[in-house]
Amino acid sequence: MRYSMRRTDSRFLFGCLFWSIAWTGVWLGAGPSAGAAETSNEDARFFNESVAPLLARRCLGCHNATEKEGGLDLSEQTAAAAGGDSGPALVGQDLGESNVWQRVSDDEMPPKHPLPQDEKEILKRWILSGAVWGDQRIDPFRWSTADRAGYDWWSLQPLQHAATPAPDKASEETLRWARNPIDHFIIRKLQHRGLAPSPEVDRRTLIRRLSFDLLGLPPTYEDVEQFAADRSPQAYERLVDRLLASPRYGERWARHWLDVVRFGESQGFERDQIRPNAWRYRDWVIQAFNHDLPYDAFARRQLAGDVLQPNDADAITATGFLVAGPYDSVGQMQQSVAMRAVVRQDELEDIVGAVGQTFLGLTVNCARCHDHKFDPILQKEYYQLTAALGGVRHGERPLMTPPMREQIAKLEQRRAELQNRIANLEQPVLAALRREHETDERGSGSTSAPRPFARWDFNNDLQDSIGKLHASARGAAKTENGRLILDGKTAFVVTPPIEKPLPSKTLEAWVQLAYLEQSGGGVLSVQSLDGQMFDAIVYAERQSRIWTVGSDGFRRTKDLQAASNEDLADRQLVHIAIVYHADGRIECYRNGRPYGAAYKSNGPAGFQPGGAQIVFGLRHGTVAGGNRMLAGQIDRAQVYDRALSAEEVAASFAASPFILPSNITARLSASQRTQRDNWRAAIVSHDQQIARLRNRKAYAVTPRAPETTHVLLRGNPASLGDVVSANGISSLGAEHSDFQLPADAPDAARRRELAAWIASPHNPLFARVMANRIWHYHFGVGIVDTPNDFGFNGGRPSHPELLDFLANRLIANDWSLKCLQRLIVTSAAYRQQTGGRPLALKRDAQNRLLWRREPHRMEAETLRDAMLAVAGMLNQQLGGPPYQDFKTSTFNSQFYEMIDPVGPAFHRRTIYRTWVRSGRSTLLDAFDCPDPSTMTPNRAVTTTPVQSLSLLNNAFVLRMAAAAATRVKAGAAEDAAAQVVAVFRLAYQRRPDEAELRAAAPFVEQHGLPAFCRIVFNSNEFLFID
Amino acid sequence: MNMHRAAENHLKTRRDFLSWSSAGLGGVALTALLMQDGQVQAAPLPPEAADPWPHHAAPAKRAIHICLCGGLSQVDSFDYKPVLEKYQGKKFGGIESADVFFGQIGLLRKSDWAFRQRGQSGLWVSDLFPHLAKVADELTVIKSMYAETSNHTPATFQQNTGFRLNGFPTTGAWLSYGMGAETDELPAFVVIPDARGLPAGGSINWSNGFLSATHQGVVIRSKGDPIDDLFPAVKISATTEQASRVLLETLNRKHLAARSGNDALAARIKSYQLAAKMQLAVPEVASIADETESMQKLYGLDQDQTHDFGRSCLLARRLLEKGVRFVQLFSGGAFGSPRINWDAHENMVQNHGREAGRIDQPLAALLTDLRQRGMLDDTLVLFTSEFGRTPFTQSASDVLGAGRDHNQNGFSVWLAGAGLKPGMAYGATDEIGWKAVEKRVHWHDFHATVLQQLGIDHTRLTAYHNGIQRRLTNVHGEVLSEIIR
Repeated sequence: MRYSMRRTDSRFLFGCLFWSIAWTGVWLGAGPSAGAAETSNEDARFFNESVAPLLARRCLGCHNATEKEGGLDLSEQTAAAAGGDSGPALVGQDLGESNVWQRVSDDEMPPKHPLPQDEKEILKRWILSGAVWGDQRIDPFRWSTADRAGYDWWSLQPLQHAATPAPDKASEETLRWARNPIDHFIIRKLQHRGLAPSPEVDRRTLIRRLSFDLLGLPPTYEDVEQFAADRSPQAYERLVDRLLASPRYGERWARHWLDVVRFGESQGFERDQIRPNAWRYRDWVIQAFNHDLPYDAFARRQLAGDVLQPNDADAITATGFLVAGPYDSVGQMQQSVAMRAVVRQDELEDIVGAVGQTFLGLTVNCARCHDHKFDPILQKEYYQLTAALGGVRHGERPLMTPPMREQIAKLEQRRAELQNRIANLEQPVLAALRREHETDERGSGSTSAPRPFARWDFNNDLQDSIGKLHASARGAAKTENGRLILDGKTAFVVTPPIEKPLPSKTLEAWVQLAYLEQSGGGVLSVQSLDGQMFDAIVYAERQSRIWTVGSDGFRRTKDLQAASNEDLADRQLVHIAIVYHADGRIECYRNGRPYGAAYKSNGPAGFQPGGAQIVFGLRHGTVAGGNRMLAGQIDRAQVYDRALSAEEVAASFAASPFILPSNITARLSASQRTQRDNWRAAIVSHDQQIARLRNRKAYAVTPRAPETTHVLLRGNPASLGDVVSANGISSLGAEHSDFQLPADAPDAARRRELAAWIASPHNPLFARVMANRIWHYHFGVGIVDTPNDFGFNGGRPSHPELLDFLANRLIANDWSLKCLQRLIVTSAAYRQQTGGRPLALKRDAQNRLLWRREPHRMEAETLRDAMLAVAGMLNQQLGGPPYQDFKTSTFNSQFYEMIDPVGPAFHRRTIYRTWVRSGRSTLLDAFDCPDPSTMTPNRAVTTTPVQSLSLLNNAFVLRMAAAAATRVKAGAAEDAAAQVVAVFRLAYQRRPDEAELRAAAPFVEQHGLPAFCRIVFNSNEFLFID
Repeated sequence: MNMHRAAENHLKTRRDFLSWSSAGLGGVALTALLMQDGQVQAAPLPPEAADPWPHHAAPAKRAIHICLCGGLSQVDSFDYKPVLEKYQGKKFGGIESADVFFGQIGLLRKSDWAFRQRGQSGLWVSDLFPHLAKVADELTVIKSMYAETSNHTPATFQQNTGFRLNGFPTTGAWLSYGMGAETDELPAFVVIPDARGLPAGGSINWSNGFLSATHQGVVIRSKGDPIDDLFPAVKISATTEQASRVLLETLNRKHLAARSGNDALAARIKSYQLAAKMQLAVPEVASIADETESMQKLYGLDQDQTHDFGRSCLLARRLLEKGVRFVQLFSGGAFGSPRINWDAHENMVQNHGREAGRIDQPLAALLTDLRQRGMLDDTLVLFTSEFGRTPFTQSASDVLGAGRDHNQNGFSVWLAGAGLKPGMAYGATDEIGWKAVEKRVHWHDFHATVLQQLGIDHTRLTAYHNGIQRRLTNVHGEVLSEIIR
């Protein structure tokens, strides 16, 4: 509701009048402030209108409440009256006693930049008339100065509805040139500089330009011929519509967006593990562009899709934006609480920075340690935004919708029925076997199973059925049907201290996992009472799906060589035993057989009698949390005070409390077996269906209850300032920036308000920044040439009225990006020729006024895609998991070795590669593919020898050259000249002229067609788009 | 992970490609072509930064950085703490609440290596580095470094970029951007990883960050093709290569003629000539076999223990000699088991003994060699690790363990060469080597000093990125004038 209010703040009225010239740095004086207490008073008005802006602009940079140079604060009436280190600053009607005047009139202040005479006069008049204040406090952000932006900064003012300008001295020619309103804005600026625009380019060039621009792919030769021959006046418009409707469009434009949002598919930092489900966000962006999702909805979903549409998997996926940056998994796990807090603050800075730069063009992140040095953003406001995003956490988020949930529930119910049937079928046999087993155990010597000193079979809650280590539950731990149930979150179980020293020992457990893709959970651990030292049966802590011999700091741990991947434990109990010898040898067993290679550790751990205990479900420690928790069930666990032999372990396994499946099967009838097989097959099929539904995940926001947000003094997490609640930045419009939330509001409310505040037509930056981005990609340079920064350090708009016109159009067309793009690419400005003209080059070498079209060098992805297209090898599969152009290996960190994989699966468009942060491609990097860890609003375009070497020699390029040659030959072009013609058509979409044929045909005859295609790929005509 | 294996795989992949024509490497032909044009002269590679380099007269023209991964123990190497001998096996008051990475504070442990005063300067160096000790008079040790984090990778980022996060340019990238190189035949910023594997985070460690990709570190391998894509991935005959170049130039010139005055198009034509020069220069510089046997022996190429790092040091010296601006050498790879870096949580003697044994002689050889060639006068040598280690062991509170945890509060680095005061130690830690207390030095100060010696005012080496003129030194950094001559 609040967003429909009209602005009444006089700041904006003031801005309306002057915003278009504010950025030139000329200060023209301020309008009356609505907040002023006594505007009726002549002196007060003089102060507010003339003196306060002067002080703000010239003095407050140093003499403010925080910096107080020379002990003087001129930002507030009482403080100013108190004077500074060298005495009174301002004494009414007494210039001689007023230090301010003395310093200013001597040109001592402001240092190096003495005041101009007219400003001195203002100051003099003010002091002589009594140095009366109007407002008691001068807001240092109120006016822009030579050093910083204030509230009156151009980009913070509401959008202007400027009339489309008519050219001053409209010659018939320029009027004929113009095709839509954009062109009138362009012409006006050109005419002011005495320049004229360039005429429209020929049709072949135009379709090539448009095709690369909208699709990132070359047109086919046939398309070019057809378009060149199409005499319809609407031919170009039809072409534009056709291309905008192509699914290739989304693939092209999503890549631009991924640059801006620092999209990477690995964690970065030390480990750089791959994020297997990050691609869903990439697909979401492609689809959003293809479906022309309105830009405001596009933004809202990325900020709060999971909150706004919790039942929509796509909306949840969209929040991948917030967590597209790196994640310091090691830093989050370290023991030091203080350092973990720093890591979390660094993470929030990344997220707040991405939100601010992407949607607002403001470098909000620069206000983490102090008020923004250049833009009107308070440090407090930075923390308000971190509060708004305080519930955001990185993670794999299940994409679950209510229908999916219902489906899973149904499947699980049917699965349980099937299991019941099997249990009923087996029950009589099982009972008989148990009876026999117990008889065996009682009759001493009749079994070779060794005797532990403690056993928990969980039939009698957590009692130790042999010794006195009766355990107690923590968190959600409970027993059920003779098993200990562990939820992987809070559940664990501890025993009282063990009175034995355990220089050698054996740990064993029958355990079933809730799912196989977990890592680091402890089954059974012996640990010192403080949880610091431990030996434990751990699942997959260091090697995915492989059991780990857990120990403190991996002291007695080695990767188990040649251990097979666990593929059973999520469906049935497995028996795991670890044998610790007094000399440090360690052996691991699974289901009674050696598991991985035995090894010698630095052990044994020196547990003290009475100083250690047993823990279940938690790798080690005294509180639940982290990756140490096991999700699964334990049927039985036993601990021995000696190292068992291999035979003893096998015997213990064989004498399992759970009967060996083979023993049961042996006693079933043939028909019972068939019946059971059928049920089992049905269970497997159910499991697969459930897993498919459950495993649908996206790397996205996995929200947690936000912590209390404080202003952190100097950005230091140890120096807590005031508590703040989620709010926006008031310089974008005070009445809209108040979210009206309590400091402990839930995450959902915070992000909902944040999304509403950002993606609003009242937000002056939201539409401007995106309109500028779109323009930037079409022309190579934005109207503001720093698309992520509309603040003081950013560029000033070359065509401010045009920018607002485009932003207004974006809003008026229901935030349709395609409408905006249609307008842009159908303008005459877009269709200009590239040729240089001496006068224009002299007056505007940078072409900021757009008197011609700048040739563009292809981006790295476009280059690779274009080679695939020319070679006829492009696999047009839309979306889905990415291809990997690397081999990966893990040595604590994940490493990526780049390769050139062959096959259609790898011949997809480059946007579908796996964008890992440390797996960068030589070829793509040579063509300025950005570091995926950094937000890249505009790419560099460099020319280097390494780049030339890459394009000449890279395996992929040569392979594509060979494929293009094969394609041409298969197209029945037999003699060299015909082949040259065919290659020109594919690569340049034109026929060669006579001179070109004369040069190329003999080359093909002598050196072969692949060598020729290689040179074509290296040529400037291929690489540059006119 | 394993560089050698990577190179072999690379070669194997190549053989699988169809062969286009008869044998012969392209580079040879290109060079011949250039020789005819008289274009093989090396020329400087211009910097990209707007502020012209140098900002002031300075001795250093280039630098080499030996980057130790994992954390070198200062109290076992360059920061002599005799009091630890007295306190061996004792608790130390005031550090019970120390906030260390793995949260375990064991008993104090003395150095496992004897300390001695060395050379004429009398600089303290332990027996961990017996060869370096012999050239101690060349070293300028800073004993009062501190870091902002004791987490390896953010600390390594800060050591190399000034920031704890991903996405910032590394020192080498900044120098390439700000200084260019003395030659256009080689990349300005070259990286030589440890032969056992890449550091954690791989190429993130030599990223260009937000600078253009040109400034990214180029990895040079000691086997196979020294750099990626130097020669065609399939065989191309010399005549074909030569004819291809002529045809490419013909096509490009014709294209340019219709678009006169376009700098980008002309630059690309020129870049193919530079590429050919690189094809000649890189294999030449990488050819360590050209060094005399005694030189190879000096660097320890004849011994198993020192062979890898000796090779890297020798290659680095050859690169510096040819005009590379910044060579970064890694000692140590990623964190894992078995350990292949300096992260001695378990056992100092085993770990540091092994790691130092790999690099000690080659490093001393590098300093000696640079000195003999007169290159130490204008080459800056940097020897750092991301943080130090605790003076107490990482163990239960009443146990004297064998390993040490990470220590961000105080640690030692050294510099040598160009314009520094040699044979001196700067700053100090407290009596047990736990915290820097005297003349504390942050990485920003270290970077500012390095830049100063290279003729760069650290406040003027800037690049605009998303709202701010970024610097290697963020908004901080004081030049350590006391260590400069």
